[in-house]
Amino acid sequence: MSMEAKTQPMARLSGLSLMDVLRVARLPIAIVVVLMLFGLVEPRVLSLGNFRNIALQTSYLAIFAMAQTMVLLTRGFDLSLGYTVSLVSVAASMAMVAMGGGDASILYGVGAALLVAGVIGLANGVLIAGIGINPLVTTLGMANIVLAFASTISGGFPVTGLPKGLTAEFAQRSPLSIPMPIWIAALVFVLLFLVLKATRFGRSLYIIGANPRAAVAAGIRTVPVLVAAYTLCALLAALGALLLTARTGSGEPNLGGNLTLEAIAAAVVGGVRLSGGEGGVGAAVLGALFVTVLSNGMNLVQIDGYLQQICLGVIIIVSLIVNRDDARR
Amino acid sequence: MSSETATMTVANAPSHRASRIDRFLMQGGIVITFLVVAVVATALIEPRFLNRLNLLNVMRNFALLLIPSLAQMLVMTAGGFDLSVGAVVAATSVVTAAVMLVGSGYFPGMELVVILASLVIALGVGALVGLVNAGLVATFSLSPFMVTLAMMSVLMGIALYFTQGIPIYGVADSFIANVGRGQFLGLPIVLWIGLAVLAACIVMQRFTSLGRHIYAVGSDQRSARLSGVSTGRTLLVAYMLAGLLAALTGFLMTSRLGSGQSTIGGTLALETIAAAVIGGVSLRGGVGRAELVALAALFLSVIANAMNLVQVDSKYQTLVLGAVLIISLAIERLLLRKRQS
Repeated sequence: MSMEAKTQPMARLSGLSLMDVLRVARLPIAIVVVLMLFGLVEPRVLSLGNFRNIALQTSYLAIFAMAQTMVLLTRGFDLSLGYTVSLVSVAASMAMVAMGGGDASILYGVGAALLVAGVIGLANGVLIAGIGINPLVTTLGMANIVLAFASTISGGFPVTGLPKGLTAEFAQRSPLSIPMPIWIAALVFVLLFLVLKATRFGRSLYIIGANPRAAVAAGIRTVPVLVAAYTLCALLAALGALLLTARTGSGEPNLGGNLTLEAIAAAVVGGVRLSGGEGGVGAAVLGALFVTVLSNGMNLVQIDGYLQQICLGVIIIVSLIVNRDDARR
Repeated sequence: MSSETATMTVANAPSHRASRIDRFLMQGGIVITFLVVAVVATALIEPRFLNRLNLLNVMRNFALLLIPSLAQMLVMTAGGFDLSVGAVVAATSVVTAAVMLVGSGYFPGMELVVILASLVIALGVGALVGLVNAGLVATFSLSPFMVTLAMMSVLMGIALYFTQGIPIYGVADSFIANVGRGQFLGLPIVLWIGLAVLAACIVMQRFTSLGRHIYAVGSDQRSARLSGVSTGRTLLVAYMLAGLLAALTGFLMTSRLGSGQSTIGGTLALETIAAAVIGGVSLRGGVGRAELVALAALFLSVIANAMNLVQVDSKYQTLVLGAVLIISLAIERLLLRKRQS
């Protein structure tokens, strides 16, 4: 598809082919335009330090957007993602503190994170695929259950006293002067890209999303695939939660409040289709970059946080309308 | 997947067990069971539940959940979804209080006029939000879920931006006394208003062409259009009515709280969806009855009150809400599966 669109303008340099270029590359173009506009108002936006900052911020959001993409591809949804991040942050921190708070306790934190997220993801998957409850309502209900635990198990306060090594290794360390979270997000991207393109599981996700009946007819066992997708989504959320916890240096019950909306926004802006079967981790990462560039720019030109919330809503709607035109062609 | 359609073909259900399960589900068996169990259990565990003052309190809360739940039901039966309900309530609460604050400065001593003006403006805001929601959903055929999610973000942002999260005081005293705390024939005014809205919804669903059109559009937009129903207009009316009802809720909540608050309504999207779903409204549209949604809203109000009485941490109340939502849907699914076997 994209190959065709790219070679066409070479062949015939008409006005239409320019439109094709614009259509394929509109998100990268939009990112550059937004950067330039903010750069006009506030030159610091275009500084090398800020680019590094944008890349770092994008890496966290990209992980959550890729997690959300795993279930969006199947026509699913995970509204519990944000609060899963909160609960994982608190639970992993409590586990680390309980095991002494030394660097050796980091392993227990990771174990607790995987356990908590695994249970949430499995429960979502079994309820949605096994019993057949609507994914929106299942994960909305699950979100509230998870929120209740996140805000109560630590008494509602941040968990402090985490191992020094956590922040040093997973937030501050920069091999080849690239921060660790960017390496990890890049690794997740490559792995998921390969999983989606080259494995049976990955192809099954697309087929289930494009046409659930055809998937059954093609002999795909949809229940285990869907359960795996929701579990994978929750585990990726847990990974992101650990990285965010390393950055803040404490377990935060309010860590994931806006993340559900932001992750969905990033995926949708990138072009992952809500009706399933279209998009990929590349789209999620690009969408995350766009959302981050926008919020970074608004922060630097000091736009009120509540106005940013309005902008996020408007951006979602605009990108829904723009991306919708693709399907018509 | 096909189990949803199974409920519709009740007439030619093959086995006896199947028809019994169908009747149980269609007549709101799940919600009635839930409600009876909740009321009996609460009354047994905590006799204070039956105190007159407590029951009045339950009724007020019930009414303020009933009205937005009916709004949610209208949109869901039309095949949509409205996550912006809570945000509309917050925004219109702010609008109501702001209009009263400003209006009482311009028209001192004319409280009734100011109160009515604030109601009209709040309703206007609600209708406008419904109009935009429906316009985006119908014109561009976008996912109602995403549109209303984005709308929620926009409205909350606007309400918080103008108030910075600080409540707006200066609400007319007679408004609080007569509407928020007012009673008529021994029952709260807000309950009467809620019941009036419920009656209007029942009549609309059963006896008007609008009601039939909403069901038709919700169950199958294409065939509705082919049989001459204007789907765009029907969706528009459904979303605008929902916006109006949410705005009415914002107005009434302001009278209860005595101030305009941009932070209310946070859990209302979940609560109204829970009430609608437990009341048997289908997430695929086309199915849903106002009276069963009312019973579900009453059930949710009773368990919320029960948890307050036995002093459950309010944070665990969201847990119960989420669990009840999932459990009621799981029971329905499993019953339908049993029916098919």
